[in-house]
Amino acid sequence: MFATENAYYPDYSTKPIQHSFSPYADNGGSVVAIAGDDFVVVGADTRLSAGFSIYTREQNKLFPLSNTTVLGCSGCWCDTLTLTRILKSRMQMYHQEHNKVMSTTACAQMLSTMLYYKRFFPYYISNILVGLDNEGKGCIYSYDPIGHCEKTTYRAGGSAGALLQPLLDNQIGQKNLTKVSAESITQEKALAILKDVFISAAERDIYTGDNVMINIITKDGIKEDNFELRKD
Amino acid sequence: MFLTRSEYDRGVNTFSPEGRLFQVEYAIEAIKLGSTAIGICTSEGVVLAVEKRITSPLMEPTTIEKIVEVDKHIGCAVSGLMADSRTMIDRARVECQNHWFVYNENMSVESCAQGVSNLAIQFGDSDDDGAAMSRPFGVAILFAGIDEKGPQLYHMDPSGTFVQFDAKAIGSGSEGAQQSLQEVYHRSMTLEEATTAALTILKQVMEEKLNASNVEVMTMTPKDLFHMFPKEQVEEVIGKLT
Amino acid sequence: MSVLCPEIPTPGFSFENCKRNAVLETKGFALPKAVKTGTTIVGITYKDGVILGADTRATEDTTVADKNSEKIHYLAPNMYCCGAGTAADTEMTTQMISSQLELHKLYTNRVARVCTANQLLKQYLFRYQGYVGAALILGGVDVEGPHLYMIYPHGSSDKLPYGTMGSGSLAAIAVFESRWRPDLEEQEGVQLVRDAIAAGIFNDLGSGSNIDLCVIRKGSVDYKRTFDEANKKGVKQASYRYPRGATSVLSTRVVDIEEVAVQRIEPERMEIA
Repeated sequence: MFATENAYYPDYSTKPIQHSFSPYADNGGSVVAIAGDDFVVVGADTRLSAGFSIYTREQNKLFPLSNTTVLGCSGCWCDTLTLTRILKSRMQMYHQEHNKVMSTTACAQMLSTMLYYKRFFPYYISNILVGLDNEGKGCIYSYDPIGHCEKTTYRAGGSAGALLQPLLDNQIGQKNLTKVSAESITQEKALAILKDVFISAAERDIYTGDNVMINIITKDGIKEDNFELRKD
Repeated sequence: MFLTRSEYDRGVNTFSPEGRLFQVEYAIEAIKLGSTAIGICTSEGVVLAVEKRITSPLMEPTTIEKIVEVDKHIGCAVSGLMADSRTMIDRARVECQNHWFVYNENMSVESCAQGVSNLAIQFGDSDDDGAAMSRPFGVAILFAGIDEKGPQLYHMDPSGTFVQFDAKAIGSGSEGAQQSLQEVYHRSMTLEEATTAALTILKQVMEEKLNASNVEVMTMTPKDLFHMFPKEQVEEVIGKLT
Repeated sequence: MSVLCPEIPTPGFSFENCKRNAVLETKGFALPKAVKTGTTIVGITYKDGVILGADTRATEDTTVADKNSEKIHYLAPNMYCCGAGTAADTEMTTQMISSQLELHKLYTNRVARVCTANQLLKQYLFRYQGYVGAALILGGVDVEGPHLYMIYPHGSSDKLPYGTMGSGSLAAIAVFESRWRPDLEEQEGVQLVRDAIAAGIFNDLGSGSNIDLCVIRKGSVDYKRTFDEANKKGVKQASYRYPRGATSVLSTRVVDIEEVAVQRIEPERMEIA
């Protein structure tokens, strides 16, 4: 009554068999970014997985595009590889055509148009672009797979994005708090929260773990940091 | 150059034995038949001034547009074949809009000139990019704009070559005007001084008597960007000329 | 309903909501997902008995639902059973069979045999045609010696010297295939089982957290809950204490205690007539 006809004997089914084309994979991973007045920190875990298995424990998911711009990607890894390669060449072409390094804001807009260009066969990636804007302030742009772009000061994306964003809303956005401090976030505090949210994500999200790769972007360039997570 | 004139001046894609492309050189010559346009770049902004040839009293002078807006921050003055200039201005506008669409920033004046230059050299045989022009464009352009480097003035000729200038004159009176510009130009010039200088020089090289309806004046400043002088303002500047 | 003699509910599953749920599903209200153990469970026989092992992660799709779930279930004093699959099914199935074994022991006045437990479990699972999603590793020692059974959700079973189940079974069996041999010492056996579970914990995303072990010998059992913590939780860097007054007060009402009326309620006498 509930099962479809011949559910137990598929060989004897008279219904046509539908084969589907599924070109996407979910390789998991989480990206978190926090911006301050003169810096921005971005972290991504280094686990690359599919289903219940781990492909590698040391996959860097942060892509420096210039001295002031870094892109964090999670989702379908093959799409990430393609997108970042095209981005890299577009950065170089821009440099050669316009005799200047592309700014973070320009890069943010370009990424949006590149994603929307593939509106009906999208890159299956959760992108978070971070960098310093033209005034040297930290800025974060987050995207959906088809090019919607939002400028924020903190963002969590990827497999643990939904788990972490409320925590950032409270701890950095000071949401649901009556005593709101006017001070802007320091680099030390941002780093501490970034590491702590990844510890929490690794506890509950099976696709987040192993290590966190952190990029700290200031006017002096990009500094790298690494942080260990649980490996189960 | 007429001494070596030969069969080589037919095709636009055939070099002469001396290594020249005659059709391109002739196109550059064609500019010298066009109306005079002057551009001066100062630290406060850029000024463009052009003469309009009113060939008949029955002609409506405002329909001759020789200074046009390309984007809010870029304007240009043209001299030569006006019909050709429309195509190039269209390209310049598309380039600027595309740059804004893709990068959400103003296109630099140099990049805009580069974009138009790419169009200017697409003469000769058709290729994958589509049908080519059968001849070079007969237009010289002065690009005046404001970008992150400040006020900029670029000149481009029919060969697609574009060069930055402090002050540049194109068109029939360009030789004399350029000489005069060299004499009056100095680095600390104000925009007002430049505007007066541009019109003074224009007055000298124009065959007709200069008045408010046979010149166009435009300034490009960081504050107001593209600003075309209305008739009253043109009259005001002409009034101050000695 | 009498207080002294509570009504015993009709035994077996209730299917009364099936029709309704099927209708709801066609209207787009999907059933909520059940918690799966997404597990590594293993068992081996060694010289003097059997050793069972399990990880302690329970998952709901891609999120960890329970970080320290107990997957080695008690069946009888001489028998334990590891469960993988739907958490509720493994838990209830083993509990029910456990009570049947206890009754069996009382009827027969003998220690229940492992083959009996296997028979009860597989017959129960077969009856439900795989809809009771329990994959079990049954281990115990009886008069015949140590026994280890793999029991699959549809009701088939294997009797093996060593075996693994759950999503981490491939990672774990690799360890056994390379290192298991007959007549292992207890110390070696415990280490082997630990390593097999650890392989599952680290290489299978459905498995994680700690390692539980259970050593069953003739006449004695060593249930080692949290035998090893395979992963240490990270140390928090910042403080997450909220200052006093961080939570907003939406409305206040002060009640004068003097005005509160206290009414004493006399307990009713129990009805015994």
